[in-house]
Amino acid sequence: MVGQAATLDVEDVGAHTQADARPELLTESEFQDLYRLHARPLWAYLYRLTGNTADADDLLQEAYCRLLAIPFATRDDRELRAYLFRVATNAATDLWRRGGRGTRRSEPLTSESAVSPDHGDGAALKHDMSRTFRDLKPQERMLLWLAHVEGFAHPEIAEALGLKAASVPVLLFRARRKLAALLRKKGYGPGER
Amino acid sequence: MLHRTCAQQPDILSAVAAGRERETLVAAHLTACPSCREQADAISWMHRLADAPEPSRPLPDPGVIWWKGQLLRRWQAERVASAPIERMHWVELVAGCACLVVFLVWQWRGLSTLVSRAIPAGVAAMSTAAPPSNPLVLVLVLCGTATVGAMVLAGLHRMLYRSHL
Repeated sequence: MVGQAATLDVEDVGAHTQADARPELLTESEFQDLYRLHARPLWAYLYRLTGNTADADDLLQEAYCRLLAIPFATRDDRELRAYLFRVATNAATDLWRRGGRGTRRSEPLTSESAVSPDHGDGAALKHDMSRTFRDLKPQERMLLWLAHVEGFAHPEIAEALGLKAASVPVLLFRARRKLAALLRKKGYGPGER
Repeated sequence: MLHRTCAQQPDILSAVAAGRERETLVAAHLTACPSCREQADAISWMHRLADAPEPSRPLPDPGVIWWKGQLLRRWQAERVASAPIERMHWVELVAGCACLVVFLVWQWRGLSTLVSRAIPAGVAAMSTAAPPSNPLVLVLVLCGTATVGAMVLAGLHRMLYRSHL
C-alpha cells in the first residue's frame, strides 16, 4: 500500500492527457479502473478514520458518486486519486460534525484487545493498534495516514484537509509526537518498530 | 513553536519512510537523536498499521455505485434545469400582484359600481354612502380578485413546468 500512489499501471486511466482540456464525465470503464485501483486503499483509510465498516462503506460510495457527478478535464491517476481522498475526507468530517458518529459507532473491540501487545496474538495486536490509532484526533489520523501510508505530499494533504501547506509539517510533527507518546504509554518499545 | 529539533530530521524521516532505517548512518542517528527516534517510531508504526489486516469484507459493488452516480448526476442536472423555473415562480407572483394593483387602481370606480349593483340593497346603500373607501367592499374585491389571480397564476405555472419536463 505504501508508495502505491506513484504507480500508474492501467492504460485507460491516464489515456486522456492534460492536452484534452474539455471536462468530461468518467466513462464506466474509467470508473471501473479507478475503483479497482483505489477503492481498497480508500476503504482502508476510511475504516481507520471511522473505526466502522458500515461508515467506511457509506463514505466510499459517497466519494465515488461525487467523482461520477463531476466532469474532469484530466484523467491523471494521481489527480483523481487526490480528489477521491479529498472528497472522502470531507465526507468523513461531515459525518463527525453531524453527530460524532465516528466515536459512537466504532465497532466494539473483542476481549482479545485487552491482551498486552507484547504477549497477545496477531488479532489482539491488530485490535490494540486500531484502538491506539483511534485515540488520536480525527485530523491527526487523517494527517498521519495520508502522509505515511498514502504518501501524499504536503500540498496534497493541505488541500485534502483544508489547511495551509505551511502548517502541514508542523501538524504532522505534533501528530507523530503524540502517537509516539501513545505508543510508549501502551508499551510499544523501539523494538516494535 | 519550532516543530523540529534536529536539522537532519527531514532526511532521516525520508529514509525511514523509504524503509531504510536499518542503514548504518540512519540507525546511528536514530540511536543518538531522541527527537528523530520518536518521529521515526511513529512512521514505522503507521507502516505496520497499514500492513495490519483489515476486516475481511467485500467492498461495495462498483456496479451499484456506478448506477447511483448516474442517478445523482441526473438529479443534479434536473435541479440545474429547473432552477430558472423556480426563480420564474417568484417573478410570476410579483408580476401578478403588480398587475392586480394596477388593475384595481385603474378600474376602481367601475368595480365599485359593479359591486354595489351585485350586493344587497343595504350594503349597496352603505357603499354609496361612503364610496369608494368602504372597507368591506374593498376587502371583498381584493379577496375575490386575488383568489382568481392566484388560481390563474398557479395554472400557468403548472402548464409552464409541465412543458419544460
